[in-house]
Amino acid sequence: MQHNVPHEKDEPSEGMKLVASLTSKGDRSSFVKEVMKMLGGENILDCIQCGLCAGSCPTRFAMDYSPMQIIKMMHLGMREKVLSSSTIWVCSTCYTCYTRCPRAINLTTLMMSLRNLAIKENLVDKNGVKPKFHRSFFEIVNKYGRLHEPELFTRILKKSDLRSLFHNAALGWRLWRKGKLQIRAPKIEQSNDLFNILEKTSEEES
Amino acid sequence: MKYAFYPGCAVHSSSKEYGDSCKAISRVLDVELVEIPDWNCCGAVDAIYSYKPLYSVALDARNLSLAERMGMDIVTLCSACYYTLSRTNKLLREDSGLKNKVEEALSSAGLNYNGGVKVRHFLEVLLSDVGLEKIGEKVKIPLTTLNVASYYGCFLVRPPDLISFDDSEHPTSLDELVEALGASKVEYYGKIRCCGASLGITDEEVMLELSKNILLNARDAGANCMITACPLCHFNLDAKQKDIGLKFDLEIDLPVLHFTQLIGLAFGIEPKELGLHKICVSPKKILPQYVRSVA
Repeated sequence: MQHNVPHEKDEPSEGMKLVASLTSKGDRSSFVKEVMKMLGGENILDCIQCGLCAGSCPTRFAMDYSPMQIIKMMHLGMREKVLSSSTIWVCSTCYTCYTRCPRAINLTTLMMSLRNLAIKENLVDKNGVKPKFHRSFFEIVNKYGRLHEPELFTRILKKSDLRSLFHNAALGWRLWRKGKLQIRAPKIEQSNDLFNILEKTSEEES
Repeated sequence: MKYAFYPGCAVHSSSKEYGDSCKAISRVLDVELVEIPDWNCCGAVDAIYSYKPLYSVALDARNLSLAERMGMDIVTLCSACYYTLSRTNKLLREDSGLKNKVEEALSSAGLNYNGGVKVRHFLEVLLSDVGLEKIGEKVKIPLTTLNVASYYGCFLVRPPDLISFDDSEHPTSLDELVEALGASKVEYYGKIRCCGASLGITDEEVMLELSKNILLNARDAGANCMITACPLCHFNLDAKQKDIGLKFDLEIDLPVLHFTQLIGLAFGIEPKELGLHKICVSPKKILPQYVRSVA
């Protein structure tokens, strides 16, 4: 019987050379282990690269790597490439990939965990829109207890981008006319609760 | 029927009419919604979770703890809150390490949570606890002129290990409701495709593309209106419909209502009370003759 497994003394294939040049074996196993400890990453080694996630993903067209490729890249230990990919930020967390995955890999939840790691490790531009969105959302909610939509918009808005300013002003005007713009910030009574919760959880999350 | 009501931030701001119409139909159906006193933001799926996961879960546990004090199950109008609260409940049940940390954080605020609260969406309550039969009995104006494309989106039906009152791939709950109100349902594949959610703030081009596809798909399938069960889906499909038109040079003109408003119309409730005037793409032209003369 003939096998296509290359013999030890054979030259490694082009594909194998590519993989080998990217990451050492040690890097591969350490990143896989790291991901497997994250929420959503428990069973990434079960992936059979069937592509259902990539085919089902509604925002695939705007990603640099498909969800399926991201999993393979994790297998290969490409830590920095994964964490600095646009994929983890363009994911709209719609859960279609997880719903359809035949190996029940919770890639959607894993995307959120990967974002968290990318922010922690400064692998994303701190002043970029995405991390700013998460940070501002957190700060506003911690301050008022609830989201104040206009404040979130104005914080994220690029003040130098005139077109975007005009566009968002038009949206704001449309909402205001319909009585949908809440100018005054909300405030819960026991806002101290949230400060206490933050203080306690910060020890863990610093 | 009495529930701890969790409106969510949007229902108190950009989607007030969703809450108003919900209250109006609840009165007709004898459903009592008691707002959770001093509730806080749920963390909005990944918004806070991606920045501070533990804080996000603890923040949400505060809501569950407040509802537990009331001794009632949580009912929410927002699919994103529905998912986020359900996720927190599940995490606290399954991950004892996380539970300990969250308990410690809660106790610093003088609170505790024993895991005794169920999280439900208002639609699920209508279908399971009230029942379509009772809803059908209250219909005064059958909406026979409406071809309704029900939009389910994401968190009303996914992920299935967390949210399972309807099918993830072929949900029918909203369609059954539409038929009980005398309207016709419209079948279209876009009903479970993502609207773009919060990408509307961080990556607007992507969101506009996704929502455009859903709107066109519904319109081409013969819909003269749509309904949603989530304030964010509604915002993207209604308030941003103008931006979609401008970007793609299209005139879509498809009114999108909150599903509670559709029920209210069939119950003969005044359009003003249902907040129909707050819908950006005017639904006036699709209203039944009788209602239009009142509106």
